[in-house]
Amino acid sequence: MSDQTDQRNAPPATSSERTVARLVNATKRFGAGDAAVTALNDATIEFRKGEFTAVMGPSGSGKSTLMYCQSGLDRLTSGHAYIGDVDVSTLSDQELSVMRRSTLGFIFQSFHLVPALTSRENITLPVDLNADAEVDEAFLNELAVVLGIEHRLENLPSQLSGGQRQRVAVARAMIPRPEVIFADEPTGALDSKTSGELLAYLRTAVDDLGQTIVMVTHDAVAASHCDRVVYVQDGVLVDEGRNPTVDDVLGKIRELS
Amino acid sequence: MIRRTLKLAWFKRNRYALTVVAIALSVAFIVSTLLLTTSISDVGEPLRSAYDNVDVVVTGPEVAGGDGPVQAISAPVPEAVVADLTRAGQMAVGFADPYAQVLTAEGQAGGQDQAAANVAEPWLGGSPLNGFAIVEGATPETVGEAVLDVSTANAASLDVGSTINFVTDLGVQEATLVGLATFGGADNDPYTSTILLSPEHQIFGSGDGFQRVLVADASVADVAAMAPGMEIQSGSDWVQSQQDALNDFLGFFSTFLTVFAVVAVVVGMVIVTNTFTVSLSQRTQELALLRLVGTTRRQLLSQVVLEAVLLGAVGTGIGLLLGLAGVSVLGWFLDVLGLVIERSSETSPTALAIGVIVGLGVTVVASVRPAWKSTEVAPIEALRSSEVDLVDGGGRRRFMTAATLAIGLASLAWGIAQSDILFTGVAIGAIFLALYLGADSLVRVAARMTRPILGRAGPTGTIASRNLEKNAGRTAAAASALMIGIALIGFFTLMAATIGQFIAGDAGEALETDLVVQGIGSQPEPALSDAVLEQIVGVDGVDVLVPLYQTSVSPAGDVEFERAGPGGGSGLGVALTDVEALDAAYTFVLNAGSLDDVGGSSVVIDQATADGFTLSVGDSLTVTSLAGPVDLGIAAIIETSLPGSPQPAIIGDLTLRAALGYGDPATAAYIVGPALASEVNDAIDLPTVEVVSRTDYIDGLSSNLDTILALVYALLAVAVLVALIGIANTVSLAISERVGEIAATRAAGASSRQIFWSLLAEFGLLAIVGIVSGLVFAWIAAASLFNALSGGQIGTPEVDVLTALLIVAAGLGGALIASWFPARSAATTDILDVLRAD
Repeated sequence: MSDQTDQRNAPPATSSERTVARLVNATKRFGAGDAAVTALNDATIEFRKGEFTAVMGPSGSGKSTLMYCQSGLDRLTSGHAYIGDVDVSTLSDQELSVMRRSTLGFIFQSFHLVPALTSRENITLPVDLNADAEVDEAFLNELAVVLGIEHRLENLPSQLSGGQRQRVAVARAMIPRPEVIFADEPTGALDSKTSGELLAYLRTAVDDLGQTIVMVTHDAVAASHCDRVVYVQDGVLVDEGRNPTVDDVLGKIRELS
Repeated sequence: MIRRTLKLAWFKRNRYALTVVAIALSVAFIVSTLLLTTSISDVGEPLRSAYDNVDVVVTGPEVAGGDGPVQAISAPVPEAVVADLTRAGQMAVGFADPYAQVLTAEGQAGGQDQAAANVAEPWLGGSPLNGFAIVEGATPETVGEAVLDVSTANAASLDVGSTINFVTDLGVQEATLVGLATFGGADNDPYTSTILLSPEHQIFGSGDGFQRVLVADASVADVAAMAPGMEIQSGSDWVQSQQDALNDFLGFFSTFLTVFAVVAVVVGMVIVTNTFTVSLSQRTQELALLRLVGTTRRQLLSQVVLEAVLLGAVGTGIGLLLGLAGVSVLGWFLDVLGLVIERSSETSPTALAIGVIVGLGVTVVASVRPAWKSTEVAPIEALRSSEVDLVDGGGRRRFMTAATLAIGLASLAWGIAQSDILFTGVAIGAIFLALYLGADSLVRVAARMTRPILGRAGPTGTIASRNLEKNAGRTAAAASALMIGIALIGFFTLMAATIGQFIAGDAGEALETDLVVQGIGSQPEPALSDAVLEQIVGVDGVDVLVPLYQTSVSPAGDVEFERAGPGGGSGLGVALTDVEALDAAYTFVLNAGSLDDVGGSSVVIDQATADGFTLSVGDSLTVTSLAGPVDLGIAAIIETSLPGSPQPAIIGDLTLRAALGYGDPATAAYIVGPALASEVNDAIDLPTVEVVSRTDYIDGLSSNLDTILALVYALLAVAVLVALIGIANTVSLAISERVGEIAATRAAGASSRQIFWSLLAEFGLLAIVGIVSGLVFAWIAAASLFNALSGGQIGTPEVDVLTALLIVAAGLGGALIASWFPARSAATTDILDVLRAD
């Protein structure tokens, strides 16, 4: 207990001005006693502004846990998860909700759109949840055109194809101009052509808009669109590389598994 | 298959928990009702045992029938009849049933709570006609000795050897309690508190004749020859008629309770059907998968029905236990309301068996249709992520709704125009069915109409509204269940208000008296003797005293008449009074004639009576009274008669008393003047008589109605409770299929509070649809039914806005509480649990 208190009061570890999110000595354990599993083991990592990072690793390596803890969806057993200079483990549920709607964006493998809302309403959801915020219509239209869903804005999710649904999810993640977007296997449910289009768009968002994206994936092709790829094994960051090619990634994955 | 079913049902146990509760409550209600009604049906048994030796019973001819609120009265059997029979060697005893109210040691009117009558009977000793048997102490040998039935002595806490007081028409009497007696083996004569006195007691010497004469060792024919003009029955026939009368009275309660138990079962059935429909829709993939691996439709149907049997069995089991406990609760509640009903403590196996049949039957019947529809799911659905909606929806349902509504409205229009009860009944049934079938459309309309308002609360409000519209087919059943409960509450509230208006409304307002003197409680009415009236006149501040002598007559011959409201039935209430003095205590609105002409056989009637008989001033009406047929001349017609139940149809002068054969003391009196109620009370000094203010008197007139209404509310509360469980169930089921959506909204930044309020708004709105449609239906049903039943004389019922708001608030509050916990648990679900499940 005292250990945790000490950690909460610890000063932020040093970081460059370009760091938007980081984990410091992050450990996440599930269960207790003999059944305890350490999903994240004293991991420290930074994610810099305007960078497209892929988090890779075999199944059960802890890559999703890393993303969930970094984004505040899950709480660390020990260590710190910062978004900007804010330690997310100190935030209340209400504060985390506000952070999710204004500072963070999420894209999931199975889209997770609200069935009762139209595409437009799904996209503007994070902004609408903020009583004070106004939707930037110009930005919304721009996103819709770039993503090719401008004619689908009034449709319900059930009337969209999988690729279209995921593009709506991307627009929803983008609309509040978040500090960082967390994408959890965003191409997992898409065919290769649709995947390629989506990754190209994410790349554009990083290059043109300076968007920071952290993407958990096991797809080497997806990782090859990134600036940086970090490899996780048994909850530990084992390696990382920059401007990876598909072959680099496949080689490294083979090595790890 | 049974193992697999058990396993699947256990896996879904949380989903079914509330359904089991709903079944259990319905079963408990019907079982406790049946147990209660079977336990009260044998109270007439002591009569048969007590009057075992009675061969013939002589009663006087009936003067006024006992249908409706007018009390039945029969002419007395002349004392000469007993004398003649005795002279002829028959063993005959006459009973006058004089009023005798036993007082407690503290001087309060005591006795059994359930006694409808307080009477004195002569102690007949070893005569075979004596229904009583001494179980403690001795027999009453002298006029100063008395015996009480066991119940009365217990209730008044009187011990053998003590001195007791009892109020009679002759004033307060004193006696020594020498013994306790049972009646036919029971602690008392059913619904009667009896004091047994020596036949020499002056209370038996009025000379006014007898209520009945019991004869032993005689034949009906022999007795009939000696008592011309009297009603002669065999002893067993008479006992049977007494038992029937008691059972008629109790049958009302049995029917009453059973009707409400059936309502609870119907509401329960709606909920069980809905639970199965929704839950099976949500399990489309599971069912399709079973089909995919080769399960036949029949096997699937059996599995689902078996699941229902399982649920029904668990619910019924719990319901039976609750029902056994419920009898005491129901009995206690009747006691609290003063509707004390004698009952045995036997548990009827039939009642339990019916409970089992109802519980299992309702669940299985409710599951069959959704189960059958679920087997139509194509195996391919297992490979898709969608679910197939099993709710009957779409065009066919809308057509049925429109058709029943059209039939309902057309019948309603005809029923109102013609005051036709058949068409009105059809209209009410059809409109109800239309509301039930169209509940989903109503919910959709409500969702759309309130969207701008809910939308102001942000996207969670929009989500609430959209979900309500989208899932209307599934959730509307919860609104319907609530509608049934609220409609009945609304209907009975309106009915009570309308009857209350009749009893105390306009007539109550016209009453200008300051005080009213009346007897407390039982029959025969505790009377105000001439001596008492004189004492009242002597009190300071009593300016005018208006004594009322209330009796009843019946129209002679085959006169057809209808009289709306209380005062109807086959008898006519009569109030005999000093009409001139009454003018000071009551504001007459004279429609025709003149009050100056009232006197002798010239009487005042109210407009309802005039309409019923088509009478005008100057006409005459022949009635049968205690003294035989009497011609009454109509001197005046007033808009509204005096308040009372029954409301007197005829008001006559005191001089008419002799003509109608009325020899009893006054039954009530109005006092005009500044006299204090307490002073008048002190002057009378009778515990069986009370002096109340005008307001208390008017309120008291409808107090029986309030009691019945309280009972109705309590019984309907069970139905509403079952409906609220349905709401909680619907919320739980709806939320269980929306975890993904809720997680997505939470991931997009919605706080748990926003999710919580969004869910509450959605289901609150659903409840409002049920409540409002219930109230509107209640009003339509009440208005049209009253119109038809009263032949158009009763207009639209007045709506008490406050009561309506209270019902809405209570219903909505209940629905919100029911939604609270499932909504809360959904709002605080860990987002990751859902995301990881993908």
